[in-house]
Amino acid sequence: MGRYNYYKPLSLDDALALHDKIPGALFIAGGTDVMVKIVNGDIEPSALISLRSIPELSGIKENGSTRIGSMTTISELIEHPKLHKRYPVLIEAARRHSGPQIRNVATIGGNLCNCSPCADTATPLLVLDAKVRLRSIEGSREIPIEEFFKGPGETCLSSSEILTDILLDPPQREARAVFMKKGRVHMDLATASVAVLLEMEKNTCRRARLAAGSVAPVPLRLSQVEELLEGNIISSELLDRAREISSETVSPITDIRATEEYRRRIVGIYVRRGIERLLKK
Amino acid sequence: MRINISFMLNGSEVVVEVEGHHRLIDVLRDQLGLTGTKEGCGKGECGACSVLVDGRAVNACLYPALEAEGRSVTTIEGLRGPNNELSTVQQAFVDQGAIQCGFCTPGMIMSAKALLDSNPDPTEEEIRSALLGNLCRCTGYVQIVEAVRQAAVQLRDKP
Repeated sequence: MGRYNYYKPLSLDDALALHDKIPGALFIAGGTDVMVKIVNGDIEPSALISLRSIPELSGIKENGSTRIGSMTTISELIEHPKLHKRYPVLIEAARRHSGPQIRNVATIGGNLCNCSPCADTATPLLVLDAKVRLRSIEGSREIPIEEFFKGPGETCLSSSEILTDILLDPPQREARAVFMKKGRVHMDLATASVAVLLEMEKNTCRRARLAAGSVAPVPLRLSQVEELLEGNIISSELLDRAREISSETVSPITDIRATEEYRRRIVGIYVRRGIERLLKK
Repeated sequence: MRINISFMLNGSEVVVEVEGHHRLIDVLRDQLGLTGTKEGCGKGECGACSVLVDGRAVNACLYPALEAEGRSVTTIEGLRGPNNELSTVQQAFVDQGAIQCGFCTPGMIMSAKALLDSNPDPTEEEIRSALLGNLCRCTGYVQIVEAVRQAAVQLRDKP
């Protein structure tokens, strides 16, 4: 394992300045992915710049809408007194994220920036239409989370940018959402995962948001399924069609966890089951 | 770059000189000689290296040593009593035969302690979720769950 220096700046400005000064330096959040990549020899940073001691990046603020600091740990999300009522789908996903030792240090910002197609917090944030705020020396910008993911391990974040906040609109009272994840055991990385959000007006679907994990190079919005559902009465035929479209439009790979074919099947079944579950609520 | 850090270790303050690439487990085992904490996979999968940082279970193999500065770290060595007697959780593991080769045991016990400190009366499901990040390759989970249950009862009954 390589040697590297480790810095713990106390402000965003200091972190950005340090990164600017040290070639080959990498930002580190909870470290549960970065440290593994170093052990595996996938990356060899000259220095790690820890974001964990920067107060601007921690905490959850509610003021109608909600702002989650990127260094909020998965455990802090789960234990927050209000989040599970306001955004239950996000907390359901957080509860399925790894095991306790990882949840106690892994952060929501790190989960997104690691940009694995299976990131558990990504699909709920996609269906909640979350935004992320990014900060660099030049300034800050806000983008929809959907535009954040570019490819496996690749985000629209430049190497000198820091994800500072996750921003959520106030929850819509009529919206119901569900998160489902297929893993061999509870703490597994997802073989496939699905988040569904529906706003119903009697039997008609007013708004639909669906996202799937581990079935494409990035956590994926299932826009075609959303279009299929919106403005329509959700019949059994429509559910079958939603299942088919989901299986067809994703582009999973075969790897150590599952085959492409299995992932296509699972995502279709979970989309159908997720919608059915919400209609029963 | 060598840096002095201080933190509370099993109730006493320690000062150690560490380098940026050192992990908490390196400091505990190699510098401080506390070899009760085991390194299994080194990748946060097996939980053999579990220790408590500010009361929460973490994998010491993924925890940068410099992040321990100013925090309170508890290892398996910190559980024994003043006369070297086993703690309630440790004794429960012995009583229930929850140990085979013993390699996973310190990590299991630290996760169990983190659970019981925050939830004195856990259900079986809660015990199993608290131990999700700890793997036992000898397959003794039933006895381990029984041991945590026994410890919970005994700790609740303690005056």
